[in-house]
Amino acid sequence: MIRIILASLVVAFSVSLAKAADDDKTVFPASGVETGRLTIYSTTDLVAMKPLIEDFQKSSPGITINYIEYLTNELNSLASEACRKGEPLGDLLLSSSVDQLVKLANDGCATAHRSPETARVAEWANWRDEVFGFTYEPAVFVYNNRLVPANEVPRTHVELADLLRERLDYYRGRVGTYDIRLSGIGYLLAFNDARQTTTVFGRLLESMARAAAVARCCTGEIIEEVAKGNLYIGYNMLGSYAYEAALRHPQLRIVVPRDYTLVLSRGALIPKAAKQAELGAQFLDFLLSERGQAIARSNAFYFTETGGLPPDVDGPQNMKESGIAQPIRIGPALLAVQDRAQRQQFIDDWSQSLIELNSPDWTRE
Amino acid sequence: MRREPSLFARLARRISVVLGIGAALLVTAAWYYAETAANKAYDRLLVGAALQMSESLAVEDGILTVRLPTSAFELLGLAERDRIFYRVINTHGETLTGYDDLESPVPLDRIEDVSNAEEGFYKGEPVRIASAKRVLADPAVSGEAFVIVAQTNEARSALTRELTLRATILVLVMSLLAFVGAMLAIRYALQPVEHLGTAVRRRDPHDLTPVTVDVPRELDPFVGSINHFMGRLNERVDLLQRFIADAAHQIRTPLTALSAQIDLLGGDKLDKAGRQHYERVQERAGELARLTNQLLSHAMVIHRADSVQLEPISLVDVARRAYRAAIPITVDPDIVISFEAPDERPFVLGDAVSLREAIVNVIDNALRHGAKHRLEVRVRANDAEAFVEVEDDGPGIPPEGWERATQRFATSKSHEGSSGLGFAIALEVAKAHGGTLSFRARDERGFTVILALPLLKGGTS
Repeated sequence: MIRIILASLVVAFSVSLAKAADDDKTVFPASGVETGRLTIYSTTDLVAMKPLIEDFQKSSPGITINYIEYLTNELNSLASEACRKGEPLGDLLLSSSVDQLVKLANDGCATAHRSPETARVAEWANWRDEVFGFTYEPAVFVYNNRLVPANEVPRTHVELADLLRERLDYYRGRVGTYDIRLSGIGYLLAFNDARQTTTVFGRLLESMARAAAVARCCTGEIIEEVAKGNLYIGYNMLGSYAYEAALRHPQLRIVVPRDYTLVLSRGALIPKAAKQAELGAQFLDFLLSERGQAIARSNAFYFTETGGLPPDVDGPQNMKESGIAQPIRIGPALLAVQDRAQRQQFIDDWSQSLIELNSPDWTRE
Repeated sequence: MRREPSLFARLARRISVVLGIGAALLVTAAWYYAETAANKAYDRLLVGAALQMSESLAVEDGILTVRLPTSAFELLGLAERDRIFYRVINTHGETLTGYDDLESPVPLDRIEDVSNAEEGFYKGEPVRIASAKRVLADPAVSGEAFVIVAQTNEARSALTRELTLRATILVLVMSLLAFVGAMLAIRYALQPVEHLGTAVRRRDPHDLTPVTVDVPRELDPFVGSINHFMGRLNERVDLLQRFIADAAHQIRTPLTALSAQIDLLGGDKLDKAGRQHYERVQERAGELARLTNQLLSHAMVIHRADSVQLEPISLVDVARRAYRAAIPITVDPDIVISFEAPDERPFVLGDAVSLREAIVNVIDNALRHGAKHRLEVRVRANDAEAFVEVEDDGPGIPPEGWERATQRFATSKSHEGSSGLGFAIALEVAKAHGGTLSFRARDERGFTVILALPLLKGGTS
């Protein structure tokens, strides 16, 4: 019964998104004479991608770029359907749900691309030269420093779980995280949390359930609510979005957990049926190039694998050397994450622990 | 005429063909083993993953569920670039999760608990497929569930290629070494043939004794044939020489009678023209007698060269005896004839009879064709050789005629008739003694013929 309700919710959501798809299409017209038209299907907010697209057009002025935004699950179902039918869907897919891209590549929906730029990609962020990770985004805690006292700021997953248990009344309904039924990233992060050797995630989930944690579809939504003060703490937020919001809202603070930090790399894939695969490859090379990475670092994604943390972020100074960073490896292991039975069960379990305890509060929210 | 290829080329060609075929067979075998090894290695991962997946099947609340272990995929992910397809089938034969259209090449009812990986195709791509069976005995769910796992072949092919390439390099290096080694061995093995050839080529044409070069056993038949042939040739030559000697001997008796008859005939009774004819007949008969003697002498000299043991002799004695024999009593008194010998008497290793014959012939030649007023016979010696020189004041032989002069029956325009066998006999004897016959061009004193012989060590007295 629950499943049916959930399914219908998902469907309703997708339909509304599909309708909104046209509104989410942004055209960056070529500044010179148009020589090509590159279509990018992406799950990344336009704000983050805009500086990259504009800089790309500086070096390739003849290319018009259509940038179309989707939610991760939405993009995944569109892409796999297009692949099954052999129809083209854009020239480049950018998705934060790399597991979905890996599944697409495994199903033979991707074109391999090799270039000096792709050779620079870390081994964990490249599968079959088909799926590339082009960002480095830790999953962080976000809190509102006006509402979370300095002595209560959690710096590890355990501290967060303990805090929610100890100050249950204060934080009830004030912690936000992804709704993994709607968000591919949320599912991916939660699944990898659950794979940790410690039992921390179980405790944390239990604490969050008790504290009537709020589940939302997207990072942006939760962060805005934390900024407004409706929520106090956001869990498993993408570092890049959180940092961008923190720049705008001084009351927002970011913690990179010190016990372990999941690191997600946004994936890029050139679809097999792409009409302008070479333009897709050109843009991909730009994303992976030193210049593209530098722009991403300063304008949109802020975190890097090798450099230190951006200023005003609370966490270990060098994530890589401290061994805290746990990049989600782009590879066949993500197929297990993508397995439909697995997903269903994981989401059921998660829903049972997190949502059902709080019903009907959550549905009214 | 088509030239037969050399033994070296024949062997080289055949050995390289054998080595080539061997290398091809080895490379093929290496490829086969490499493929088997690569398949075995990766099949274990595949079967392991299938087992792990089937282990993850569980019955929860009366429903068959599967939580695919990430480790199974990580195991398969060891083949980094390979795509993975899987399908879990529940007890009713329905797909629980995975790729609905993935089929096992083995029918489901024949899948064992653990089955080996098989070749197959999925979506047109060649894959290896492993399957596993799980028997469920839960009251709610009983029956057999299956897991089918397939993996593309990229890592296998890459490993096969790499192993084959390495094996191929090894095989090629070994073949090359074997070839070079074989070539060196052939060259070494064929050296005796070369040696034998050189030895036979360098032989004196008159030397018909058996070849005594040391050769490997395999060449014995060849050397045997050469020696057999030489033996027969030697017999033929001997026979021929004996025939010439016999013939000369047989001719001498009637010839002596003929000369006597001519002398008895006398020329006094004849008229002028008749006398002229008579004298010419007499002269020709004399020439014939001399030639016959020379033939006999030649045959004797050759015979003795082969058969007589050389012994130390005094060259002066031999030369003096020859000098006496060669100067006839009827010699022209106008010619001054002298014999000179050193005080010490040079000894040589030789056959006195042959040497005397040689010197007689040289003096005879000088008397007959050269000397007008003077003929000198000298014996002298230096540290290594002893010489017999015959010098006359005749016109001599111009240097361009020297070689011809020592040939048998060579004629020279400056002389009447033939020089016959004189120099040929002298040369034959000189050679048999390891010496030489040479000429010294005419100077103000005259023309000299020199017979040089190696001195016997410590052979003067």
